[in-house]
Amino acid sequence: MEQLIKQTLNKLAQPDISFADVRITRTDNEWLYFMNGFMRSYGSSMDSTAIGIRVLINGCWGFAGSRDLSAAAIDRLVRTAVRNARQGGSFIRNRVEFPALPATRAEYHHQPEIDPFKMPKEEKTACLRGLAEAIKPQGKIVHSMVMGQFMRQEKYYANSEGTYSHTSYYNTLPVMEVVASDGGQIQSRTWPGHMSAGRGGFELFKQQKFAENTDRIMKEAIDLLNAPTIEDDRADIIIGNGHLALQLHESVGHATEADRIFGMEISYAGKTFIKPEMLGSFQYGSPLVNIYSDSTDPKGLGYHPVDDEGVPGQKVDIIKDGILVNQQTSRQIAKLLGLRPSSNMKASFADDFPLVRMTNFCLAPGSGSLEELIASTEHGYLLDFTKTWSIDDNRNNFQFTTEIGYRIDGGKITGIVKEPTYFGITKDFWNSCDAVCGPEEWSYHSTFHCGKGEPGQVMQLSHGVAPARFKNINVSVKI
Amino acid sequence: MDQLEYLKSVLDQHPELQYSITQSNWSTDFLRFYHSETNYNISKDNTTIGAEIYKGKKSFNFAIENPERGKIDAALRDALEVIDKLPEDPDFVDLESDMTLAEPRVVKNNIEAIPLDLKTKILSNISAAASMYDFDIFGTFICNYQSFRLINSNGLDKSSQSSPIYLEVKAVHNKSQVTVLETFGGEDFGYFNERAFTESLMQKIKYCSSEIVDVEPGYYDVILAPRCLAEFIQYLSHGMSARVLDQHSSWFEGKLNKQVFPAHISIVDDPADPRMIRADYGSDGHIYRRLPLVEKGVFRAFLCNNYYAHKTGLPKNGNTASCLKIEPGDKTLEEMIGGIKRGLYISSLHYMNFINPRETSLTGLTRDGTFLIENGRITKVVNNLRFTERIERILNNVVGLEDHCATIPFSGNYESFDIETVKAPHAHVRDFNVTSSTKTI
Repeated sequence: MEQLIKQTLNKLAQPDISFADVRITRTDNEWLYFMNGFMRSYGSSMDSTAIGIRVLINGCWGFAGSRDLSAAAIDRLVRTAVRNARQGGSFIRNRVEFPALPATRAEYHHQPEIDPFKMPKEEKTACLRGLAEAIKPQGKIVHSMVMGQFMRQEKYYANSEGTYSHTSYYNTLPVMEVVASDGGQIQSRTWPGHMSAGRGGFELFKQQKFAENTDRIMKEAIDLLNAPTIEDDRADIIIGNGHLALQLHESVGHATEADRIFGMEISYAGKTFIKPEMLGSFQYGSPLVNIYSDSTDPKGLGYHPVDDEGVPGQKVDIIKDGILVNQQTSRQIAKLLGLRPSSNMKASFADDFPLVRMTNFCLAPGSGSLEELIASTEHGYLLDFTKTWSIDDNRNNFQFTTEIGYRIDGGKITGIVKEPTYFGITKDFWNSCDAVCGPEEWSYHSTFHCGKGEPGQVMQLSHGVAPARFKNINVSVKI
Repeated sequence: MDQLEYLKSVLDQHPELQYSITQSNWSTDFLRFYHSETNYNISKDNTTIGAEIYKGKKSFNFAIENPERGKIDAALRDALEVIDKLPEDPDFVDLESDMTLAEPRVVKNNIEAIPLDLKTKILSNISAAASMYDFDIFGTFICNYQSFRLINSNGLDKSSQSSPIYLEVKAVHNKSQVTVLETFGGEDFGYFNERAFTESLMQKIKYCSSEIVDVEPGYYDVILAPRCLAEFIQYLSHGMSARVLDQHSSWFEGKLNKQVFPAHISIVDDPADPRMIRADYGSDGHIYRRLPLVEKGVFRAFLCNNYYAHKTGLPKNGNTASCLKIEPGDKTLEEMIGGIKRGLYISSLHYMNFINPRETSLTGLTRDGTFLIENGRITKVVNNLRFTERIERILNNVVGLEDHCATIPFSGNYESFDIETVKAPHAHVRDFNVTSSTKTI
């Protein structure tokens, strides 16, 4: 592959191409899905190759991608990428400026504890079947599912500056869900929640304690049927890791993708309330809020030694002591903002155009345990496990509903509430943060499904979070 | 012999197996623009073979991208090795057996018919018009071409082609950031009238010259633009699926042939309208026919494929709500706006998600042009708003529908490149629940 990618790059050594890069990915996927205790689907997509060629000609990008790596296909892609850049240049006013970077070379090959692609299929099936049977519909449980998705991707990257990287990794998405009904309403519980993916292989089912939590989610789903809703208008809320990851993702992660500042995502994902002049002075959150983008930590899905346009992996503070200090950028956008590129350009597959993407986007831990945080809360709610999410196209006004809320009175959990829903404005919300739990509560929560861009891409990424408390939040939404 | 035929020939040597195999060839030319200039031009293509293999009630499926014989042989070997060891799905009965073929039609490849230089010329013209009001344009101009063939062990062998077009232009004011939207979608570019498209966009731009205000949360009389009504109906159709019914998550459970909406609400899934992006077959090969879903407010049918027809006993139709039409009413838009003392005009919706699908409750936001209506006319621009509503409640509060429909395209996301169209009129809805303001345009 190294030879193929370099041969392709050689074909792009043309006088009017100021920058070119080529990526090749080879991806394996396998998935198992059990519904109501029975196997509904077992499938695979193996050895799926893709190639993408990106060129910058006279300040305009052109791109071509395919799943066909034959010589004829690559010749056609080279011609098409060049044509797209040249013709696109007829509808352009500001030529892209793309500062040069030194060449770098990287190799990284991750190995999971239990390689799901080497594990016998019947062994994987037996494990998931055991879980599926444990949560099979009975009584008020009317629907259940268990799913495992395993992915292995090998990536080659080379650019016209001499950078070359070859990486491979394994990611796994395990999840289970039960739905309870009393004949009228339904309530659901998942485990381990909305962002259940992780870097690793089949060992994630054990690490995430699936077998230990089947009874818990069935009981909670049934109990939710008769649980009250929140009656308060405003309340202090503690958000558990099973939901805080998404709150961080939507209201800080996407908001600080700098392509949104320049309108590159207006047509689909939206823009951001952030303006360039806010950098260095905008009080995004309380002084306890420290948020960073870290593509150097191999434990998260966002790890890479080099991003998809040749920028070495980096750990960058985005919010420091509550102040917005940086953005997630590409080389093109970093130049516009006068910043150093943050190594956030990523594409899902080689035949996708790279975009500014979150990698490992994290809330730094504070201090203390969740137990201590609950004990110090006179009245409020611990909300966990995402159910519904929505945020406006400026990343300013959000509303979330979690699967379950635990009522806190006098520092103790005293009951549960169903469909706890809260809303707020991003800046006000993060400024109301008065506690973040310590490193012992901090963990990664990852997704396979962050959608962005057109044509649409889904990115795999991680969020490191520890439970945090937010004061006087609006919980008055009545449906 | 092509790769699909090869896969079939190998599978036919195993009479103990049932199978459903597909081949899709797909390509796109995709221009994304921002600030009235090219952001990037993308060309992509892909060929995929998909296979579902059954042995009794046991099954295994695989997908092969850029298929070649070596990959097919490996995937088949893998499937045949494991299939006996898998647990059964007791609800599987048989594969699709509907042999009805769709009317043949000629599908022009719009990637070739609308080359990149034509796209940039059209966009340059629209950009020039918008710039007179200090607006830049942002958006996408997409042409896809895809062919699809499905063969199964019951003898079914069906092919279809489509070539959707999607043009989305958002005009954004360079200072206020007020945004308006105009779209075109379909398979026949002959329906695209550049002048009318530009004039419609300019009309919306002119509304944006007024003051920008916030409105308080509360219940409002609203005019939903066709795009909004279309999107609510798309979300509602989720609960019309037999799969969702089977999961006890459908609001329509127990409501078949019952009056669920006012008599002026009729919804049909209609693949035959030439103005829309059409569908020939459902995903398992059943012919896609016109299917009334709601007739004069009465719920008439669940969307039901072969698997769920066997499982639930509901009639099979193969429809997937890909060609939704909401029947028009008898009012003009001016009449509907004219009848509102204080209310809102909502152009587009953003980031909706169900809170509880069984109740059709959801939350979402307005986008791309929200306007205040005072004393029967549009007077001000309004910051985007959050609503928390139930779709069934919205439809039960529809008091007027426009006398004609617009064709609204929706592009796929999350790695889907599908483009669908929905036909819908403007709707006048009472007591629409606005729950907060975003304080931003």
